[in-house]
Amino acid sequence: MNEAASLVLAFLREAWLALAGAFLAFVLLAGIAQVLRVSSASMLGANLWVWESVSALLSIVMIGLFAFLGIPQIVSALQSSLPGAGGCGPISELGTFASALIGGLAALRMLKATFISVLSASIGGASSFSHALIECAEAIFGMILASAAIPLAAWFLGTC
Amino acid sequence: MFDPILQQILAIARDAWAFMAGLLIVVALLGGLYFVLQGTAGMAFGGSRMTSMAIIGVVGLVIIVLFAFLFLPQVGEMLKNFQPAAPF
Repeated sequence: MNEAASLVLAFLREAWLALAGAFLAFVLLAGIAQVLRVSSASMLGANLWVWESVSALLSIVMIGLFAFLGIPQIVSALQSSLPGAGGCGPISELGTFASALIGGLAALRMLKATFISVLSASIGGASSFSHALIECAEAIFGMILASAAIPLAAWFLGTC
Repeated sequence: MFDPILQQILAIARDAWAFMAGLLIVVALLGGLYFVLQGTAGMAFGGSRMTSMAIIGVVGLVIIVLFAFLFLPQVGEMLKNFQPAAPF
């Protein structure tokens, strides 16, 4: 079980690195797309469009900082609250495997949410910062729920 | 495993960056030309407000282009330094 967990986590770590690299590239693309919008809107005299683009640019920087500084801290904090199942036997191993997997998947899900909002901003759409935050909150809530469910499952299934 | 995919994405992103930077230069040049035309027309028939608005427009465009080409790469460098390892 430990080998399977380390294999899955290595796969998820590689996915994290690739997603973080692509995220960085798309943050810059979204930034230049919004600057392009600002320049064309200021040429046309469209004030509202300029302010929309300026706020989108600010939110892109905010999303970038949140993804690279906030998400790892949130995941570390929540993972330390996830209990590896107490006791012994297959339930304990399954609990450890599940908590590691839940942490990895939640981290990737949060990074994916921020990546999608930056991607939409890079193709000229509104950067849906609120959608990214909602998806992150869902992932956090899922981890909190799992931290309660793992000991309960261990208790029901019986631990020694 | 994901490295070849990332390299493909980065190559596309680099092309897109070059395209958008070129497009920004073209838009800024067109905007500059428009504001120069507006300013000269204003000067020709004594429209001082029109001329001053055109001068402000040109200065604004220059600031926007400088912002794009100086500030955005710095933001990229900063985020690159913050790029975290997997937290799990």
